This record gives sequence, C-alpha cells and structure tokens, in this order.
Amino acid sequence: MTKIEFESVVRDHQRMVYSIACNFFHNDAIAEEVAQDVFLQLFEQHRTIQLGTHCVAWLRRSTVHRCIDAMRRSGFRQEMQVDCLPDIASEAPETDLLLQEGLRRLIASLPEKPRTVLILRYGEDMDVEEIGRTLQMPARTVWSHLQRGTAMIREKATRYLKENVLEGDRR
Amino acid sequence: MSQFERDLRESLRHREPPSGFAEKVLARSRESEARHTARRWLVAAAAVVLMIGGGIFVQQQRQQAEDERAKEQLMVGLRITGSKLRNVQERLSRIQERAVQRQSNP
Repeated sequence: MTKIEFESVVRDHQRMVYSIACNFFHNDAIAEEVAQDVFLQLFEQHRTIQLGTHCVAWLRRSTVHRCIDAMRRSGFRQEMQVDCLPDIASEAPETDLLLQEGLRRLIASLPEKPRTVLILRYGEDMDVEEIGRTLQMPARTVWSHLQRGTAMIREKATRYLKENVLEGDRR
Repeated sequence: MSQFERDLRESLRHREPPSGFAEKVLARSRESEARHTARRWLVAAAAVVLMIGGGIFVQQQRQQAEDERAKEQLMVGLRITGSKLRNVQERLSRIQERAVQRQSNP
C-alpha cells in the first residue's frame, strides 16, 4: 500500500474504525484515540498490507484488539446500572433515539467478548464464521458469546422496563 | 430478523467521526514518519561511527601485534647475539689463560 492509498483508506474506513471503537466504549474521546492509533499502526505497516478485503479485515481485527487492550490497560469498565438508562417515558418521537441510546449503553456494559461479538455481528454485519476468523476463536464460541450477549441485554432491558414503565404506570 | 435484532443493528450503525479526524490521523502519520526517518539516520550514523571506530581499533590491534612480534624477534636476536658473544668471550678468556700459563711455564 502506498502513502496515497493509505490516505484514501483513512478517508474510506474512518467511519467503520471509529464506530467499532465508539460502540465498544460508548465514549467519543476514547474511541477517537483508539481509532487514531489503529490508523497509525496501519501506517507503520502499510508496506506489508494489501488493499481491499485484507485491509478491511486487518482494520477490524486491529480495532477490536486495540479496544480490548485499552480497556484492560486503563481498567476502563462501564458497569452500567439500570437506573442510568434514559427515561423512555418521554416524548413518543424520541423513543427510538432513546431506545438506541439505551441499547448502546447496554452493549458497552457487556463483558468484552460478548460485546465485541455483538458489535461485529450487528454493527459490521459480519457472519459468525467471519467473526471467528477475526477474533481467532471457533464459530461455536462466537455463537455462544452472541447468545450470551443478547440474553444479557434482553434481561437488563426487561428489568429496566419493569422498574421504570410499570412503576410509572402505577404512579 | 427479529425486531430486537433490528434495534441492535440500528443502534450499532456506523456514525461519523469528529470533524478533522482524517486530517489528524494524516498529520500524526507524517510526524511518525519524520520521527522514523530521524531515527533511521541516527542508526545509520551510529553504524558508521561504529564501523570507523571498529576499523581503527582493529588497525591498532594489528599494529600492536606486529610491534609485539618485532619485539620478540629483536629479543631472540639479542639472545642469540648474547650467547655468541659469551662464547667468544669464553674462548678469549681461555686463550688468555693459556698465554698466561705459557708465560709462567716457558
């Protein structure tokens, strides 16, 4: 990959790299830092990386690994309580946005492996085999992290709905 | 696909990075390249200094070894000359002794 090609890779894939990091941390500043580091690492290795699918796979893999490293290094863990979720009993048109925001927070509060798998599955639209190749784990393990992650989100969301909506109705 | 999965997909959709993100990355990559170039020059300069220093050291070692060899040869030469001189001196003393004996017993 030449320097000019590197520039076009940055412009073409900045949304993808930034979004993975942002969905992982639910924190714009950390996501920006991680995404910049990923591209710098790409620049340092640009002579050995081919353009195209190889490059995209490399970017996804590096972003995920950098996110996990950054989280372990800083001890950054977003333990989210149900109370922290936005109040969905607000205006109706905002419900979708609030639901999305709530889901993003819930995803960012999951343990690292189910979180990564969910982000790659639903954020990057990758299938289980591709995720397995990216994270170097068997497809069956990916599948189990996916099930576990969605179950945790459902459980947290249900608890939240019970505590807020039903309590709100009673009031 | 269930509604839940659709909601997940929607909440994890790609979003725009902060404005100027690409420019920041490119600026950092240029800085990093400049740092690498400087480091490469430094390594090359250190290698040249080491090579020159090494060359001088090897040359000095060679010269020292040659000096040692020459010194040893000189010492051997002096030892040989010394023993020859001793032989000559002994012969001369013997001749002198004989001459003295002849003079005392004619």
